Amino acid sequence: MKSHVMGIDFGSTTAKVVIIDLDANVVASCVSHMGAVSDEAVKQAVAGALDEAGLTQADMGRTVSTGYGRRMLDIADKNFTEITCHARGAVAMVPEARLVIDIGGQDSKTISVDSNGLVAQFAMNDRCAAGTGKFLEVLARAMEIPLDEMGPLALQAEQELKISSMCATFAETEVISLRAEGNSKPDVLGAVHAAIASRTLGLVSRVGKKGPVVMTGGVARNTAAVHYIEKALGMPIMLPDNPQVAGALGAALIGLDDYRAELADKAGLPEDLGLEDQMMADKPCAPACKGDPVAARAAGGAATGGALDALLAEVGR
Amino acid sequence: MNVAASMPSAANKLKSTRMAGKLVNDYWEMVWRAKEEGKLVCWYEGSAINPFLEAADIVWVHGEAYSAMLAARHLEGPAQAAAEERGYMKELCSYARTHLGCAVTNQRTRNDTDTGVTGAPDDADIAARLPEPDMIISAYAYCSTGQQWDEMTSRLFGKKIPIFNVSIPWMWASKKDAGYLRGQEWDETSRYVARQLDDMVKFIEERTGKPYPWDRLRELMANVKRASELRLEAMDMCTAHPAPATFFDWVVSIAPINNLPAGPQIVDYFTAVRDEVADRVKNGVGGIGREKYRLFFDGIMNWNKVGWLAEKFARYDAAVVVGRYTHMAFWQEPDLIDARDPVLGMAQNFLICPNNHASPILIELIMDLCKKYEVDGMVIHASRTCRAFTNPQFLIADSASKRLGIQTTMFEGDVTDESFYKDELLNSRVEAMLEAIDQRRLVAA
Repeated sequence: MKSHVMGIDFGSTTAKVVIIDLDANVVASCVSHMGAVSDEAVKQAVAGALDEAGLTQADMGRTVSTGYGRRMLDIADKNFTEITCHARGAVAMVPEARLVIDIGGQDSKTISVDSNGLVAQFAMNDRCAAGTGKFLEVLARAMEIPLDEMGPLALQAEQELKISSMCATFAETEVISLRAEGNSKPDVLGAVHAAIASRTLGLVSRVGKKGPVVMTGGVARNTAAVHYIEKALGMPIMLPDNPQVAGALGAALIGLDDYRAELADKAGLPEDLGLEDQMMADKPCAPACKGDPVAARAAGGAATGGALDALLAEVGR
Repeated sequence: MNVAASMPSAANKLKSTRMAGKLVNDYWEMVWRAKEEGKLVCWYEGSAINPFLEAADIVWVHGEAYSAMLAARHLEGPAQAAAEERGYMKELCSYARTHLGCAVTNQRTRNDTDTGVTGAPDDADIAARLPEPDMIISAYAYCSTGQQWDEMTSRLFGKKIPIFNVSIPWMWASKKDAGYLRGQEWDETSRYVARQLDDMVKFIEERTGKPYPWDRLRELMANVKRASELRLEAMDMCTAHPAPATFFDWVVSIAPINNLPAGPQIVDYFTAVRDEVADRVKNGVGGIGREKYRLFFDGIMNWNKVGWLAEKFARYDAAVVVGRYTHMAFWQEPDLIDARDPVLGMAQNFLICPNNHASPILIELIMDLCKKYEVDGMVIHASRTCRAFTNPQFLIADSASKRLGIQTTMFEGDVTDESFYKDELLNSRVEAMLEAIDQRRLVAA
């Protein structure tokens, strides 16, 4: 029996890998930057995570991928969309979350989750990358500022300027123009982040605004982006410790459910315990999991439980 | 959800709809021969006034139909490029842009002058084969682009082509007695449009120099009425599980009901379709290989991608069982038509174009369809250049979600401009929606 599960988020600008043990504890994570959908970056991220965990790929009971490159990975056993994985990962990080805002390299999404952590509705940005990490990268280059300094500088804005362009490229033109007019970098950066918040608010309105709100994705590490989105929403935003890996974590958790279901199946455990039986049990097992990880999660708990725990103890996890 | 490109087709299309291909080809051949046969040609857009024209032996060209045909055959490029060169930007309705491009190309063929970046049209270029109009009739519900499109066509032909305009008012549904097919507004507006259609007939008489053949119109409308009844009967049978046909089968069937000659052949066509659907229901045969999801498709069709989308959804085990474009348009209320005196019923069918309803009515109709066909999700095609269709889509999605608990997702595309469509964006959104449906089913189980 394998000891761990891997989740890979093969995104458009970064590859993220999370390794968890069979108790769903994160033992390692790694983020690798890339220029485009890149095999090399994923390999680096996988190697980095395995190295941190002191494990090999052979130790993985399941590997699940997500992100735009999810179908490209030979090592993945299954793949799921980012919506499903980010919802799962975000709620694992912040269990009370009801709205997930994920802003990544080239896409942004809002996901309304219900009390079971299931996707109620979702919305994604259109073709344009305005308001995403790519938007910030382009403008950082235009303003000759390191990307990680954009947030702190933007928080120093004193004057409220406006960037009206919805297009990332034309926004760059506006930024250059605002600087040429003598506006300070903090003020211009304030306007950039306000524009991101405005785009995000539009996506939130499509799924319904409700709290608590959690933000994931690389842009969640940008303090000004969080500040301006909070201001636009009129609600506080909860930030997990490592928001960028929420998708990879969600993928890993889905993989864990799948792997546990397989173990339960092999052990000949009953597959279709009724809900009432589970409620009576010491620790409820997932009903009708039948090897389906989503079912396992949907029942309000991973495919763990008295009988499965016993099996795992028996085989010496 | 990996799609293997090498797999056999997952879409089990209706066999009877293949007849439509021949009917469409025969019709366009008729159009291309019109001038050499000495026929008058009318260009029109929007409402299906073609029976009026056919009765008077006028060859009719429906702008959207021609544009759709070009897009379906992936031949829209030259016409669209010609229109852009003339000054019609990409953000314009691509139906209009394609058709206006045909008008521009038509001019070039005749004038044989410097043709700029698009070059001289090839003789085989069917965009250039559209015969010049002898008259233009505009009868467009709701869409302001449509209403101006005919005006622009007239200008492209030097304002020398007589043009007649039928005003089809928007149905506000704001009076207390308003509702679908009822109320004071409905009664008054129906008669208003009907009066204009009578005036349109006078215009036709002036063009042909002959008394209008009303008997012929009655004959044609009897066929249209019967064809529509058969079509609706077949559509209703798709409430079965599995659905015997999909939205894409009905898309292929639009031409026979909308703009092809209204002879007995359209009754034959829809009889064959109805019979095949009935047979499939009897034998439990579905419109796709394996029906795991039932979807509503909102929005106009991507004509460049009909087969592509049919296959894509089939591979997702998703039967697109119903859609606004197919199930709320195209002689959708045949009971309103009195074949002995068809004008009022025709006017009323023009008024119920799905874009011509106020949102409360439109949304109610869509919710009813979702319930009737027991859909699990709604895919919304936000056509970049068709704002008429996209305007209420957020409201529709919101209602579907809140009132019926239906998962929705939206993707951008376009009517006939393929450059606005991105496959991966559709993939990720549809897959996410189907995963969310799976989750909910397991919770409900």
